[in-house]
Amino acid sequence: MEIKGKIVGIDLGTTYSLIAYIDRGAGHPKCIVGPYGSTLCPSVVSVDEDGTVIAGQAAQRRLLTQPERTIYSVKRLMGRSVEDVQDELKHFPFHIEPASGNVIRVRLGEKVFTPPEISAFILRELKSWAENFFKETVDRAVITVPAYFNDAQRQATKDAGRIAGLEVLRLVSEPTAAALAYGLHKQQRGRVAVYDFGGGTFDISTLKLISTEEGDIYQVLSTNGDTHLGGDDIDNVLLGVARKEIQRDLGLDLSVHPGSVQDLRKALILAKHQLSSAEKAEVHVPLEDGKFYVREFTRREFENLIEPIVARTMGPVKQALADAKLVPSQIEEVVLVGGSTRIPLVRRTVSEYFGREPHCELNPDEVVALGAAVQADILDSGVTTMLLLDVTPLSLGIETMGGVVAKIIPRNSTIPASAQELFTTGVENQTAIDLHVLQGERELAKDCRSLARFQLKIPPGPAGLARIEVKFVIDANGILQVAARDLRTGEQHSIEVQPSYGLNDTEVERMLEESIEFAEQDFSERQLIEARNEAETILKATAKAFDGEAVEQLSRDERAAIDQSIERLRDSARGSDYKLIRTNIDELNQATMHLAELVMNGALHTALEGKRLDDV
Amino acid sequence: MSVTQTRAEAAGTSCWSCKAATNGAHFCPTCGKIQPLTRDTNYFALFGLPEKLGIDADALEQKFHKLSWKLHPDNFVRADDFERNLSLERSSELNDAYRTLSDPLARVEYLLEHEGMRKEGTTKQQAPPELLEEVFELNESLDELHEARESGEGVTELRGRLESAQKDFQSKLADVDGELNAIFARWDAALDSDASKDARGALMAQMNEILNRRSYIRNLVANVEQELTKTS
Repeated sequence: MEIKGKIVGIDLGTTYSLIAYIDRGAGHPKCIVGPYGSTLCPSVVSVDEDGTVIAGQAAQRRLLTQPERTIYSVKRLMGRSVEDVQDELKHFPFHIEPASGNVIRVRLGEKVFTPPEISAFILRELKSWAENFFKETVDRAVITVPAYFNDAQRQATKDAGRIAGLEVLRLVSEPTAAALAYGLHKQQRGRVAVYDFGGGTFDISTLKLISTEEGDIYQVLSTNGDTHLGGDDIDNVLLGVARKEIQRDLGLDLSVHPGSVQDLRKALILAKHQLSSAEKAEVHVPLEDGKFYVREFTRREFENLIEPIVARTMGPVKQALADAKLVPSQIEEVVLVGGSTRIPLVRRTVSEYFGREPHCELNPDEVVALGAAVQADILDSGVTTMLLLDVTPLSLGIETMGGVVAKIIPRNSTIPASAQELFTTGVENQTAIDLHVLQGERELAKDCRSLARFQLKIPPGPAGLARIEVKFVIDANGILQVAARDLRTGEQHSIEVQPSYGLNDTEVERMLEESIEFAEQDFSERQLIEARNEAETILKATAKAFDGEAVEQLSRDERAAIDQSIERLRDSARGSDYKLIRTNIDELNQATMHLAELVMNGALHTALEGKRLDDV
Repeated sequence: MSVTQTRAEAAGTSCWSCKAATNGAHFCPTCGKIQPLTRDTNYFALFGLPEKLGIDADALEQKFHKLSWKLHPDNFVRADDFERNLSLERSSELNDAYRTLSDPLARVEYLLEHEGMRKEGTTKQQAPPELLEEVFELNESLDELHEARESGEGVTELRGRLESAQKDFQSKLADVDGELNAIFARWDAALDSDASKDARGALMAQMNEILNRRSYIRNLVANVEQELTKTS
């Protein structure tokens, strides 16, 4: 038997991605801590001048320094066409190639990539975390997708896995994965609603958790959502307010300063996080020409601003309950997943609707990855002790006369699911029948999502003689497969499928080969280079602060502590232990915290003084 | 989306692996290998049930879960492509069957289709004779509502008329459901008493007629609902 490497569960998120495994000793799933000491890997990818691709924390830092070569929230582009993402382009600095066609191509510096390739860089980064942790190859994974992802978005995610050199054993819906981790943790049975409000997507799923002789069944009853609604949208609202105020009060147009926009965005996100526990949060961001944006947000103002976004989640929630034929009081537990559920307004809205306090004892950032690891372990062990019965989020249909869609598999059908349709010819010697497959709930083909068009080839003969049965199967990943059979001869028919959106197999294979070239560089070698670069940056910044006036206000002890940290960092940066360098960077950061504050206050002071002079 | 080429299905009487007789079972009784679908599947038989229309929902769910444990693709991750594909076919059929039988309307429609008594998409959208008068009045009210809305006239009185018609049709829908339940019971009794083919045929014809009537009223209710939300 072929020897296989380790298997993992991956949450490929809009803002952060995580990788988890089953700790056999502890008997429960755990997230792997990356080289920066966190389980969260920012879903950010950056391309260096020399063509090196960087993903994760290091790329996130480059969002501020090299915004043109760096991309975040690429999940929003997965499985979509240029036409689909016009709205996103207003809010996200994606540089999309004009002739992208059905597969988006994004420019990063000198290179051009498709969204699955960019996601593959994030997956490779996570894979390297895990391989470094296990000291073993990781080649198979369960990857989570938003429950409301359509066929093209799921296929794009699977392609990303393949390009990253991972065999994707299963795509699991994020809320279902969360329910799995949660159910395991709480030993809960009954009806559960999972409200998953992440960085870029919103999902709601209702499930029934049942104990049977063979083990526990997690049966999804219904799901709904919005694949373009998340914390990103909250950030964009705040960013919109700030940009307007900056234009009005400081006369600065930030559209020509992408670096400042990223600084501002970072500060506003921090304020958003603070407002989850504090009643107010202050933002001060240095902008161009020595100008500063200084602003206080109260919780109340923040809630007023984001209320329309939170309200948008409730439509899908009501639909999901109606589809499961349930009323809110029949839900026994509500589970919150995703970073955006830390917002008090979100919690309040959910608990008011369901009339009960939601559960959040598991870390909402990690719970999806933990569930993916559980499913990965089930698939790997070959002994199924827990069974996920998921559903397809969207109805599957075929276009009929007049552009009307005939639904053949309704939404919320347990997957795998299938449907057969019989086709025949309408005219003498007709040699082909055109088929158009779609996903969506609307009546007309033009309002649904096109999945594919294909032709059934027919041997010439009298009209109505041909009997071609087409079988549509939605597999356990929520991805459609089509097969055709001539009922008269029993022969399988070959079908040329042109996917409406997405890559074909040859393209994926080519990308896999190319991505291996990018990944040549050894993991620890790269970590070392990154750590050294960062050490250099912080040493320079500290030296610069020492030249200023602020340093005079430091106590003798503080000064000595900083000097000591500098010495230690310089030493370790000469060595090759990147973890030690990281520790020393953190130490120096800690030691210079007060100094940084003094420098900031000084700058602010000058800025305000400057303003006052102007006003006079 | 991808395209698969399933192996041309065998007759389904002998195991593809050990050649022993299988009689259409999910798994070969001799070697335990998962078997291809047979052509003449029947959703009732799949759950080991007679073709009765009264089904205990809990018992059906338990059977569904039992079979899910065995047939779900999770159990075949390590198998080769051929067996994986069989699991996909078998488990999708199981899910289709459960989806159909767990809904009373889908269940009776399936029974009639399976017996060749009803063809999907060919239900006649003709007003049932006893409803003709009311449907005529309703359509008139709907037309008036259209006109009133376009000319900007008051619609309060018309709305009132439509709402009461709506209530009327909704109660008719409830009546039809009552009729259906009654005939389901008669069907089940006919099976128990081993009724003649003709007697069963007559019952199915009646069920077909009731279903057509139901779908007609259901559409009316949906139409009126749509018009009412437009005017509100």
